[in-house]
Amino acid sequence: MIEIKDLHKSYKMGSNSLHVLKGLNFNIEEGELVAIMGSSGSGKSTLLNILGMLDELDEGSYTLDGVPIKNLNETKAAEYRNKFLGFIFQSFNLINYKTALENVALPLYYQGVSRKERQEKALKYLEQVGLKEWAGHLPSELSGGQKQRVAIARALAAEPKVLMADEPTGALDSKTSYEVMDLIQKINDDGNTILVVTHEPDIADMCKRIVHLKDGVIVEDKKVDQVRASQYV
Amino acid sequence: MFDRDIWQEIFHSIRNNKLRTFLTGFSVAWGIFILVLLLASVNGMQNGFYDQFSGNASNSVYIMSRTTSKAYAGFEKGRKIQFTNEDVDYIKGSFKGDYEYITPVFQRGASARYKQETGAYNVSAINEDHIYIEKIKVAQGRYINKSDVVSGAKVAVVGKKIVTDLYKKEEPLGKFIELNGLPFKIVGVFTDDKDEGAESTIYAPVTAYQRIYSNTNYIDMIMLTYNPDFNLDEALDFSNKIAVLLKRRHRISPEDQAGLRIWNTAEAFNDIGKFTGVLQIMSVVIGLLILIAGIVGIGNIMVFIIKERTKEIGIRKALGAKPKQIIMLVLLESVFITALSGLIGLVFATGLLTLVGPLMDAPAFKNPSVDISTVIIATIVLIVAGMLAGLIPAIKAARVKPIVALSDK
Repeated sequence: MIEIKDLHKSYKMGSNSLHVLKGLNFNIEEGELVAIMGSSGSGKSTLLNILGMLDELDEGSYTLDGVPIKNLNETKAAEYRNKFLGFIFQSFNLINYKTALENVALPLYYQGVSRKERQEKALKYLEQVGLKEWAGHLPSELSGGQKQRVAIARALAAEPKVLMADEPTGALDSKTSYEVMDLIQKINDDGNTILVVTHEPDIADMCKRIVHLKDGVIVEDKKVDQVRASQYV
Repeated sequence: MFDRDIWQEIFHSIRNNKLRTFLTGFSVAWGIFILVLLLASVNGMQNGFYDQFSGNASNSVYIMSRTTSKAYAGFEKGRKIQFTNEDVDYIKGSFKGDYEYITPVFQRGASARYKQETGAYNVSAINEDHIYIEKIKVAQGRYINKSDVVSGAKVAVVGKKIVTDLYKKEEPLGKFIELNGLPFKIVGVFTDDKDEGAESTIYAPVTAYQRIYSNTNYIDMIMLTYNPDFNLDEALDFSNKIAVLLKRRHRISPEDQAGLRIWNTAEAFNDIGKFTGVLQIMSVVIGLLILIAGIVGIGNIMVFIIKERTKEIGIRKALGAKPKQIIMLVLLESVFITALSGLIGLVFATGLLTLVGPLMDAPAFKNPSVDISTVIIATIVLIVAGMLAGLIPAIKAARVKPIVALSDK
């Protein structure tokens, strides 16, 4: 699903440049649940930005579902993001004046889906994350865990190839974190490819594979026995 | 553009920033309000000015004799110039085709009497052309005609005021009016709704009246209208030529401005036109300057809104919003605010004008109004202004990097 070859990325900081990613190679197959781990400054966020087409790579190649991702203009990048990717953020990034339902329907709007169909689909995904009754509520009326579940429903709504979660449990207490991870695991069980960036080992252990980044290189890439989050819920 | 979702966003954004939107909208509404009122005022002044002159034919020329102020051709200065019937004949002979109507005017005050009622009035003795030059409105009977003038008939056309003064409820037509003791038969009554003072004038044939005054051929003024096909230059050229010839005829120095006075309506209309034209340009400029303040205000607000919504725009882009869609969102909002508030200003201004405008009837100010083209132009200006105000913030918004939305840790 994702193929990364010899990926380099550096940032110019005044006169000297900061080499953040130093030649990464890895593949992610369909249906995988991969944790990308690393301390802050390890380059994991940069990697996610590049994978999420929010940033461009300097060297190497990135292929997503057989499509080479390079030299994208803004419009093309927007189109690919919409078609291929679903984002889950640490701070949920829901639009605060839109109801849960409207938030979930937003990526469908950018896909050009008709209004009625949008509503139906959005409701279906809200139901999947267990928040059907909360469809008409604003984010401010929801708890942190509920917000993240709305965000997950929004990421799912576009039916993307890959879900990218950037510290999805970073702003949640451990109980709620496990609930969210339980949901992510269930979505993965349905066959969705999911990438989770985290620095929490217990969250990483709930994935099927851990890629460990340190100072811009992969120091470890191992398959793990998945810890089911449901046992903590 | 007519996407329900975009409008929902716009309404939401406006709802959430009521005060800010109101303040900005107010400045645009105010700008348009002022612009329309300014234009209408200039229009009102123009109407008022033209109205002042509309009692006369717009192509009329009045020639009056005065006293010389320069010694010339052996004559001392201070000589009184006297026109006679021959001067009228001379102009008729010299300017065939250049004039349309021409009449001598011989004016004397007269004490008028009917039965026991008396009054002092001004008598203007004229010929049959006069009705066209001063646009006399005959309410009853007829005006002085050619045969009256040729025969020197003692007939008179009186103003309505005289009828009410002397005849009370009696029918004046066919009755006699005594002017300085001599009976004149009333053949017509005229009205003048522009100038009530004029309604106390009595018109009589010039021939008859000159004969009463020791058979004189003196006249006080020559009134004429120039060929209506003349443009401004030709009209001025015509009256200048008359001045030159009459000055030569009466031995007035060509440089003497006092001996002869020619009043040409074309000149007056031209001056008014220039004057109000300048005023119009000034009011457009001032109005636009006020409008610019409003537009800058909207631009300012939009920049602010974009700053505030940077994160939201980042999220939208992460979810697949194209730059075009973001630009549309921002641009439509600013166009919407500008157009709506501008229209409100327009409605208020035109409303005020329709309510108050007709009541305004001062001598130099009448029926201030704006024509539809002004309204249309103002609307177009508004929409374009809204676009301009929104353009820079919109482009800025489209450039927001989605990473900005992500890097909130």
